[in-house]
Amino acid sequence: MASLKDIRARIESTKNTQQITKAMKLVSAAKLRKAQNNIVNMRPYALTLRKVIADIAVTNKVTHPLMEKKDQVKSILLVVITSDRGLCGAFNSNINKFSEAYYKENKDKFEKIDFMFIGRRGHDYFMRRDIKPIDYITKLDKDISYELASKVANRVMNDYLDGHYDEVRVVHNEFKSAISQVVVCETILPIDLELTSFNKESEIETGFSVDMIFEPSPESIVKELLEKHFDLQIYRCMSESVAGEHGARMSAMEAASNNARDMINKLTLTYNKLRQEKITTELTEIVSGAEALK
Amino acid sequence: MFKLTIVTPERRLLINQEVEEVTVPGFKGELNILSGHAPLITTLGTGVMKWKLKDSELFNKAVISWGYCQVSPEGVNILAGLVELPEEIELAATQEYLSSSEKKVLNTDVSEVEWIELQKEWARARSKIDLMETHLKR
Repeated sequence: MASLKDIRARIESTKNTQQITKAMKLVSAAKLRKAQNNIVNMRPYALTLRKVIADIAVTNKVTHPLMEKKDQVKSILLVVITSDRGLCGAFNSNINKFSEAYYKENKDKFEKIDFMFIGRRGHDYFMRRDIKPIDYITKLDKDISYELASKVANRVMNDYLDGHYDEVRVVHNEFKSAISQVVVCETILPIDLELTSFNKESEIETGFSVDMIFEPSPESIVKELLEKHFDLQIYRCMSESVAGEHGARMSAMEAASNNARDMINKLTLTYNKLRQEKITTELTEIVSGAEALK
Repeated sequence: MFKLTIVTPERRLLINQEVEEVTVPGFKGELNILSGHAPLITTLGTGVMKWKLKDSELFNKAVISWGYCQVSPEGVNILAGLVELPEEIELAATQEYLSSSEKKVLNTDVSEVEWIELQKEWARARSKIDLMETHLKR
């Protein structure tokens, strides 16, 4: 049986833990709001960009290597986005498990599966399993910027255009809401703009004319815009992942704070019971001592 | 009068604001757009862009690096990689950066890729300095 002093010490330390988890929850909530803002701010840019590419590509029948599907997919690059830090529930382990399963399942189907890691957690996990990435970025603790994303995008795109890979896929957490994130695996190269569905809409909406002046030529504009589009895709995945991370951490910390509260309640109850028991014993001793003297 | 939208991946600067006139650093040089301009799509370089809001005497200015501009009958859409407003620019830091990096490059070898990157950075720094000089005189 634990002594009163032990229980008191445990209650104190649980209280301290609870304070920390509460603070972490608040911090995550603030960061989550910022990350969500980022996603919202990106939307108009993304939409306009996509629309213009579709418009130009359709009216001028422009194609680009980034958009062409390869008949036979032999080698793929898997970009795995995780967070740098833990304490966010199953956020990272979901991603890691998914990627590992994916790797095992498809190992025989393709000639080559290479990895690239964004975030320390994924990198560490696969290092322990002797899977070496072609490249990794593990300093995400500051805010992710568009600049960082475009550097990653450049690297991936060059590898793709040089013919090292036939397909590039990204595994990341999609931000559904603050409490739910879903692991998704999407193909980002070759770029699929779903031109067919866009075609009709844009014709009706803007009446995009072929007489438009292009400076420089439509081909080079499409090329530049596609590159930007790809940068943005990477940036979007990273932003979603960051928002998801903070959301996951927020709910994990919320749960931890609640658990700490329950724990404190239980301990306080035991403490009081013990205290009363002790008082009763003491009283009985005094009373029986007095009785004996009579 | 027409509508101007300026967005970057990280922020929304203007959404459908009524403006009288816009000047951007286009692919073939500085480009001034008034209402009734022919439909046009162009990429933008690095430089200073200006726009005059409706009923305003003064031009608003910003430094833009990479972008793309679409002029259509409804208005002007500008997608920019990065936009910096005068109040966000630190003149001293920019000058410092320019002179120190120029000195550094003189003493070391740089690869082609790095050279292109540097050129872009310098162009941006120079436009920032240009912008700030005219901005402060006002």
